[in-house]
Amino acid sequence: MAWSRKSAMFASLSIAMYLLGLVLRNQQLVTVAVVLLSFLTWAAMRTAHGDVSSTGRRIEDSKIDEGIQLQNIAALRKISAARVFEDGEIDVTLRLQNRSNISKVLELRDRVPEVMRIKKGANYVLMEIGPQRETEISYTIEAPLRGFYTIGPVCIRVQDEFGLFHNEREIQLYDDFLVFPKMEDIKDAMIKSRVPKIFTGAVNIRNPGEGSNFYNLREYLPGDPMRKINWKATARQDGKMMVNEFERDAVSDVILIVDSREVSETGPVSRNSLVYSTRAAASLAQYFLSRRDSVGLVVYGDEIVSVDRDTGKKQLYILLTKLAGAMAKGNTPLKIVTNRIMPHIHRGSPIIILSPLEDDPTIVDAVRDLRARSFEVTILSPSSLEFEFDARRLDRTGYEVLKTERDILMTELRGLGAYVMDWEPDMLLYTALAGARGF
Amino acid sequence: MAEEVEGKGPVDTSNLYEGKVVRSSAPSRRKAAGTLKKSTDIPEDAVPEVLVPSWVETIFGGPVVAKRDFLAPDRMVVSLQVWSSAALLILCFLTFMLTPVSGTAWFAVSNIVGMDVLGMVFHLGLILIGLVGGFYGIFQRDQRAMLASYIALIVVTIRFAGSKVEFGLSFLPEGEVVQKILLILYAIFLVMYIEISSGIIRFSILDTSIRTGEVYVMNVNKISGRYSRALGITPTIAGFVAMLTLFINLIVPAFVGIFDQVAANRLKESVELTSVYGVALGTILVFMIIASMFAINLPLKIQQYLERQS
Repeated sequence: MAWSRKSAMFASLSIAMYLLGLVLRNQQLVTVAVVLLSFLTWAAMRTAHGDVSSTGRRIEDSKIDEGIQLQNIAALRKISAARVFEDGEIDVTLRLQNRSNISKVLELRDRVPEVMRIKKGANYVLMEIGPQRETEISYTIEAPLRGFYTIGPVCIRVQDEFGLFHNEREIQLYDDFLVFPKMEDIKDAMIKSRVPKIFTGAVNIRNPGEGSNFYNLREYLPGDPMRKINWKATARQDGKMMVNEFERDAVSDVILIVDSREVSETGPVSRNSLVYSTRAAASLAQYFLSRRDSVGLVVYGDEIVSVDRDTGKKQLYILLTKLAGAMAKGNTPLKIVTNRIMPHIHRGSPIIILSPLEDDPTIVDAVRDLRARSFEVTILSPSSLEFEFDARRLDRTGYEVLKTERDILMTELRGLGAYVMDWEPDMLLYTALAGARGF
Repeated sequence: MAEEVEGKGPVDTSNLYEGKVVRSSAPSRRKAAGTLKKSTDIPEDAVPEVLVPSWVETIFGGPVVAKRDFLAPDRMVVSLQVWSSAALLILCFLTFMLTPVSGTAWFAVSNIVGMDVLGMVFHLGLILIGLVGGFYGIFQRDQRAMLASYIALIVVTIRFAGSKVEFGLSFLPEGEVVQKILLILYAIFLVMYIEISSGIIRFSILDTSIRTGEVYVMNVNKISGRYSRALGITPTIAGFVAMLTLFINLIVPAFVGIFDQVAANRLKESVELTSVYGVALGTILVFMIIASMFAINLPLKIQQYLERQS
């Protein structure tokens, strides 16, 4: 049984009045003190006080005795989905059973993660539950931020009518769910690999071969199939036989590198570089996987977490799960990451780096190494300067100077042949990608 | 591609910089932002807001009374306001009747000064503060005014009294039983006033939470009904216990009288037993019984019995 502030105040007031009454021989004060004490005692009795320490029982027994009123309460929770995307909703249904023969007035709070918003209903309920009855409460939560979350435990409390004493119990009932980063529909990210692979796929790789898109015209060579002859062009070339060449389609290896260092979380909780990077990575992964490309992921912060390239829907969920769990920690330089992954990826594969490009002196070296090995590097850089400036955490002068330095760095990276885009907060991913490609 | 690497701890990057010139790259923005301002003043938002608690808050672990905003009172709150103001009116009247100015500190001071009326004015002023502050607190739902009212109504009773019960008005009955019943009534109304007025705040918070969707209450009428019932039952029980303690000078002699009538008569006439020390004895006896009930865990056993009845 726990005391509230009110009961503590009543108790101290009554003791003080009682002693003062005795000293001053004032019956009036003593009477008030006695009434107050009786009031408290009655409330304590009603809350089933368990002075278990005096009974000499073990602690485990005493715990059960302490909350005897709550032992016969059972709870069962159901959630509508264990995996949702950001801004998605989860319906929670909590069934509460009173297995005793006594009616109870309960305060119930189903603990939900702090970042969640209650959209409908309430997770905090005050109710009277009859004997051998069960009741159901339901509420809807909205998940605004990616991550792994847990609902629970269920906290129940009984207290006397005056709020003087209460008993509490936590029902250890937990439900986990995962919030994936939100995805944007990107029609064409314009990322193309120069290196063909064995299996033809949907990505045209700007090399001639057996594909569907027209690539070029060339002179007829012995062995060319007749159906490839372009008769109109042949007529224009005075009888010189011309054939159509097509772009060769191939499955492309796309590597996404997400910067989840501590610095990437600079800015407001819902608007920072890491949030944007994970959303972009999720959108790109979905886009490439839908084209049957194989996509790999590297998330680096205090350690390097990577997901090997693969294709298919299963791969998408693996990537989304890794992105959901990306935490802003550590300060691993990009150079370490590229050194580690370069031997394992095909030369020329598109590499998309999602990073705020801050606090890392190895960025230029890392990009230079990638470019030297013919990797097609695209850098999407959510500008945390803008986030901080919008949140008024950065003054104008500081912003201008830092912006200039950032522009210089980007120009340097562009000079190395990387496609770089300064991704401003309100810009759509597709627009940012198109900008990075120079369209 | 590399296999999944997890839990390797911090990565040593020193090899990357040995003997190399690090080229231009984004500097630490936090460092730069701190040095790039025109003036050397610390930006306003750079210093987090620190709330230093006052000494009162330090002692009580938070503010004694928090200022809250409530929505317009609902039916339950309005009825509590009515009950509370009725209790306050009766309480102030009883205080005025039962609490004489004699024996109080202000009475002594006014005597020394030679202006007896000053003590009376101060005495009535305290009751008036209790009344007006209480009404203001009840209807404005202001806890500070309520607290001022409680303090005024308690302070006004602090006085050095004789062994005998003494009242503020001379026309009140002299009979011991009636006097003690009046005292009990006064005590009950004081406690009920404190409880109901704090109930106004509790139910206002609850009502506001319900209406803002923070909390959902199933069958609100049943819950408020339980509170109303408790408001009826608890003062009755408290009054009964107070009667037992106050009438100990009649109960003990009656008990002793079974064995020895002479001793019982002596006890009845004993000044100590009729004075405040008799009440103290009564309190000890009554609360010893209650303490023994707790010692044997009776409330818990009753609860266990009820729970396991099925």
